[in-house]
Amino acid sequence: MNARTRGRVLGWVVTLLTVAGAAFVLLPYFWMISSSFKTQDAIFRLPLEWMPRAPRWQNYPAALGRFPFGTYFFNSTVMALAVMAGNLFFGSLAAYGLAKFRFPLRELCFRAMLSTLMLPLEILLVPTFLVVRQLGLLDSYGGLIIPLAVDAFGIFLMRQYITDLPDSLIEAARLDGCTEFGIYWRIVLPNCRPALAALAVLSFRENWDQFLWPLVIISKEALKTFPLGLAQFEGFHSASYHEMMAAAAVGMIPMILLFLLFQRAFVRGLTLTGLKE
Amino acid sequence: MSNGLPSVPVSLPQARTAARPFGLTYANRLRLAGFLFVLPALFHFALFKFYPMAQALLLSFFRYDLMSSPEFTGLGNYRALYENPLFHQALGVSVKYTLGVAIPEWFLALGLALLLNRAMPGRGLIRLAYFLPIAMSQIVVALVWKFLYHPHGLVNGLLAAVGIGRINWLSEEMTALPALIAIGVWRGAPLFAVVYLAGLQAIPRDYYEAAAMDGAGLWQRFRWITLPLLRPTMLFVMVMSLLMAMKVFTNPLVMTEGGPNGTTRVLPYFIYETGFAFFRMGEAAAASSILFGLALLFTLVQFRLLRRGLA
Repeated sequence: MNARTRGRVLGWVVTLLTVAGAAFVLLPYFWMISSSFKTQDAIFRLPLEWMPRAPRWQNYPAALGRFPFGTYFFNSTVMALAVMAGNLFFGSLAAYGLAKFRFPLRELCFRAMLSTLMLPLEILLVPTFLVVRQLGLLDSYGGLIIPLAVDAFGIFLMRQYITDLPDSLIEAARLDGCTEFGIYWRIVLPNCRPALAALAVLSFRENWDQFLWPLVIISKEALKTFPLGLAQFEGFHSASYHEMMAAAAVGMIPMILLFLLFQRAFVRGLTLTGLKE
Repeated sequence: MSNGLPSVPVSLPQARTAARPFGLTYANRLRLAGFLFVLPALFHFALFKFYPMAQALLLSFFRYDLMSSPEFTGLGNYRALYENPLFHQALGVSVKYTLGVAIPEWFLALGLALLLNRAMPGRGLIRLAYFLPIAMSQIVVALVWKFLYHPHGLVNGLLAAVGIGRINWLSEEMTALPALIAIGVWRGAPLFAVVYLAGLQAIPRDYYEAAAMDGAGLWQRFRWITLPLLRPTMLFVMVMSLLMAMKVFTNPLVMTEGGPNGTTRVLPYFIYETGFAFFRMGEAAAASSILFGLALLFTLVQFRLLRRGLA
């Protein structure tokens, strides 16, 4: 065997290993979906039943009928969209101010904002709860949305992008008599579409998924989010794994759709912040 | 502004200052505009980050149960934590979990990125497969893995095929935390692989070609080109992976409720329990302050280490 054939064989072996790894990573999803179509007895049967013998579609309506999942789904979507809108608007606004203007204490402002990356809700749980209670926002959409509506990650991501926009673009608009807000709205925003898309996808993903915050401030059934609903399902019907997997599979749909449709924006969002110092 | 042509930016604004709205000079108006753009975000951070942080510190010196008014206890809450074996346990569990998830992630993510950066048939699809766990929602991950770890679940089913007996993963003190750590790595490694992949793609091809021409082998090229140029990416990955692992909450709550015997009760779970199940808000705030100190420590140590590495 000469060096070239050996190299090619090695290449194929590595490729096969990569594919096997991918299969391993995807196995939990496969098992979830397969189990969601089985009977309760079949999900724990040995030898393992990789494909359901006769798919039980009725698991889905049965699972979703146990709780008002439509309401939960709606609430999660409202929360994720509203938080996303806040992140996009206030994040890009602040990022523009930080990237293209000079004013006293600007660096300090930026550093202070960035330092809040180390203050996630998990750490500030108790005091944030108390602030939201003082504002009378417990058990409300406002309480779900407002504390999360501005995020340091978004500002950081947008600032990286806006810094690279040419100053001449902004100055030209200024010379044409555009107002300062008009420059932001009509020149800066349209020019950061890629960054905005990336932030939108990441923000929607993260907030559709919020669990701890709604858990702490929401007790009304009508305001519960999908993750709370799923946890509740687990608490009440912990033995019905076949139905639980059906409900979980439905909960996965928005994420998968988002990911498949906006894969590039997703990846760009993760890399925009990591590439540069 | 600083384009080396002082006459242009000076003369243009002068034309505009003639009107002087609000009696401000042009330069000051720009400063004000910049500040006003930042103001809404600054206000939000003041209300939902800095004020709560200050309040948490303050509250950590009070006894407070949400009903009666707060009562000053000095260092009482910290002393209570110091004397509480459950807190010591939670601190230890958090450190074990955080390092147990983050350190394997650093290596696996880099390895995965190197694999996925190669040319191979169907690369797009393979990448997609690896990246799907990123899109997965926390709670779905928790439920699916609880099902997989079930005594009669898939993990034991697969192990039975190679002759390993049934293990009750989530109810044994020995296996519960490692089981949760495995999930954290499974979910986090692909995420950081994406970041590394972008870092790898930013390295110019010519460097490798020139090095290969000079007879550098695979390892040498990795050691002297890839590694040094990936430093900024590495710093980002290290800090973010630690911070992410440190705030884990959903999995311990949904999968083990902190058990068995507190072996999976991480600090965020301890804080949640102390505050919202036992209504000891002051003590929860004290524990929060300690968790924050830990986050700060991890971040600072890493900046130090990597700065030194760069120099």
